[in-house]
Amino acid sequence: MGLNEGRLPGGGVTSRPGGLPLVGAGGPTFLTTKVDFVVNWARRNSLWPMPFGTACCAIEMMAAAASDFDVARFGMERMSFSPRQADVLICAGRVPYKLAPVLRRIWDQMPQPKWCVSMGACASSGGVFDAYSMVQGIDTIVPVDVYVPGCPPRPEALLYGLLMIQEKIREESLARHGEHRAEDPLRAGTPEATEEEVAGLTGPFGNSTRQNRVGGLVRTDRPDRPDDRQP
Amino acid sequence: MTEREPALARDSALDAVEAGPSAVSGAPVRLDEASASHPSVDALRARFGDAVRHHEVSAGDQHVVYVDAARNREILGWLRDDRAAHYDLLADVTAVDFGAGRPLQVVYQLWSMRHRRALRVKCELPLSHLVIDSVEPLWKTADWLEREVYDLFGVKFSGHPDLRRILMPENYAEGHPLRKDFPLRGRFSRAEQTRRALSQDPHDHYIPAELEIGRDPQAAPGAPRQHPEPPAKRPSTNRPLTRGK
Repeated sequence: MGLNEGRLPGGGVTSRPGGLPLVGAGGPTFLTTKVDFVVNWARRNSLWPMPFGTACCAIEMMAAAASDFDVARFGMERMSFSPRQADVLICAGRVPYKLAPVLRRIWDQMPQPKWCVSMGACASSGGVFDAYSMVQGIDTIVPVDVYVPGCPPRPEALLYGLLMIQEKIREESLARHGEHRAEDPLRAGTPEATEEEVAGLTGPFGNSTRQNRVGGLVRTDRPDRPDDRQP
Repeated sequence: MTEREPALARDSALDAVEAGPSAVSGAPVRLDEASASHPSVDALRARFGDAVRHHEVSAGDQHVVYVDAARNREILGWLRDDRAAHYDLLADVTAVDFGAGRPLQVVYQLWSMRHRRALRVKCELPLSHLVIDSVEPLWKTADWLEREVYDLFGVKFSGHPDLRRILMPENYAEGHPLRKDFPLRGRFSRAEQTRRALSQDPHDHYIPAELEIGRDPQAAPGAPRQHPEPPAKRPSTNRPLTRGK
């Protein structure tokens, strides 16, 4: 991809051609764009992932790190098993509520700049586990930059997600540092999503359990699978 | 939906799931003593008489004996200590809730290493009174297994040394999830569940000595440990859900 092209791999168009100065009122200056270019180049090519693998997605994540797919080609030289040295949190697998504070604390322990990949259906939305014990998407707990769909995603999909993180870093600017990197220390350990957002994310999509939250059992007679979905 | 039920009635493979084992033809066969016997069941009948309710064989060769729940510790203790029975390994303690108001079953899976023989012992408890004696004094492995049954089914094991939740979070307040009357998504809203999950604080539920376990790998096992003062409680994260700024 050429420097002046301004196209992103997902089909989007960037407003700022990489590395070239934009001169104008309120815009980034010549100096900051050049520093941005160098800083972003260094950051995006030395991302260290923090693996938070809890299920089968973690097997694919290990495959992505092993020699066939080799995530080290893209600067993710090693998995950083300590949050203090990590740049990207890869949450691979389902997260039960009992694990939610652990995930949040690991995220809070990672120093800025940091990014988060939600790998697989369960981490992104709860997946098939629409149950009492399961977090319905880790974006209720931590801010997520890239969602990788799949059950589990192939290693190529994870690599593509990490490359999208790299493209996101390319767009960041020191001049807009507060916008990208602001973090309220008082919010450490608290849910990322508001109550309304959680309610919107986790509305009933219809499961075949003949149960609702208010009354427990809706019906106790014989199951009638196609029609027993509650509104 | 109700009027379609007769059409579905016979062919649905889910009937067995709903109705439970004894209502299904072909599934566990009740046996009288003549047709098939298990030496330990015969010995139990001879010794405990009416406390042995009935006996069935499941999956070909798995003998299941139903005993009086009020005498479970006495009977299981005898099964462990008697030389002819000698069930020295408690492989599992679990429970089954069939729903529809049927009694909840507590299941003990026993194995005799000397005789290489298995026996499954079941006790039935009415849903209104889920209390049974703990067998932790007999087999130490029952400690965590009974905690799990308590956590997920709400069976109280009297005499258990430390009956707390083991799988669900310590501050879980929605009940016992594997009971049939428990709604699949839990009783609280997702927002409330998320808020409660992130306000878990281990200091509320463990003494400082427990929190120190495993923290100093260099310490000799069994050596007396110097417990520091409990750390100052960090500000509670139990705040209402609002965005900062």
